[in-house]
Amino acid sequence: MIDGLLILLLFQFLGELVIHFTGLPLPAPVVGMVLLLLALMFSVPYSDRVADASGALIRHISLLIFPLGVGIVLQWERYSDYALALTVAVIFGTILALVLVTLLLKLLLRDRVKAGERGGRADG
Amino acid sequence: MADLVHSPLFGLLLTLASYRLATWLYGKVHSLPLFHPFIVASIPVIVVLPLVGVSYTEYRDQTQVLSFLLGPATVALAWPLYRQLHTVRSVWRPILITTFIGAALAAGISIYLAWWLGAPEAVVGSLAPKSITTPIAVEVVKSTGGYVSLAAGAVAITGIVGALVGGLVFRLLGVKDDRIRGFALGLVAHAIGTARAFEFSEKAGAFAGLALGLTGLVTALALPWLWPLISPWLFPG
Repeated sequence: MIDGLLILLLFQFLGELVIHFTGLPLPAPVVGMVLLLLALMFSVPYSDRVADASGALIRHISLLIFPLGVGIVLQWERYSDYALALTVAVIFGTILALVLVTLLLKLLLRDRVKAGERGGRADG
Repeated sequence: MADLVHSPLFGLLLTLASYRLATWLYGKVHSLPLFHPFIVASIPVIVVLPLVGVSYTEYRDQTQVLSFLLGPATVALAWPLYRQLHTVRSVWRPILITTFIGAALAAGISIYLAWWLGAPEAVVGSLAPKSITTPIAVEVVKSTGGYVSLAAGAVAITGIVGALVGGLVFRLLGVKDDRIRGFALGLVAHAIGTARAFEFSEKAGAFAGLALGLTGLVTALALPWLWPLISPWLFPG
């Protein structure tokens, strides 16, 4: 667990360093994620020790985001003027995007049902 | 006595207790999306804070340690992404094409609808990253000049809507392929959609996890560059 946290914080810091020296308009944790992915793909020693800490953090993303997300209700007076735009964009927009993405996948994966059957092993 | 509520201990205790209650209830109702822990946990917090006289801004400061962990949680997404790379080797081309088009669609539709209905720039900018996983969304929203709390709320509601309608959409469109069900849910409805995908099958879950990682990555890499081009066009002057 400590190893995992150490690796995650280290890669987040590396992300900050990259942003600092390049001025790229990107979120530092995202750069850190790409760097960690590369480290894992190139089997950098000890990089797979992130497993436990990663699993724990990802499982509880709802908790981590909660204090920020609950602001949509607690600061509603700030957003209530745009209630219609928000409701339509979030609810209808999500349904429309889901339908379109599903249709796109159907079209693209149609001829590959057999080719793609292999390798569906999942990790919780 | 009154000053006891003005400490991080109070905010964290309230948050963890509400969240624990919510996850317990979520298990009781067999993960019904409408009872998502995010929705249930918000009820006691919304009721208690005004009662004890703690403002939202103060509550957010009290619980800063949780928000801080969103950074490492984003970096952590590299792990499931890495683990699932092998599952898609044979279909990487349609997967990548869908990621690019799908990420653009998910963001574009919400940007367009909110703009069309007259929302101002900061509100539209808050909705742009709504289909990507929360830790990445709250980082990306800083580059679009949106509100963090609005973005985080929109992301959560997007996930819940996606998980709620997913089964119906797939039935109406005659989709039985778990790769499609999983990838579509993960792309549009991030972590909450991924949890829903695991209820279809492990394979659907793996594809959803992959979609979540890829969409988050593509959006996070593209939006900070594209937003300065889109925004002056939608909001001239």
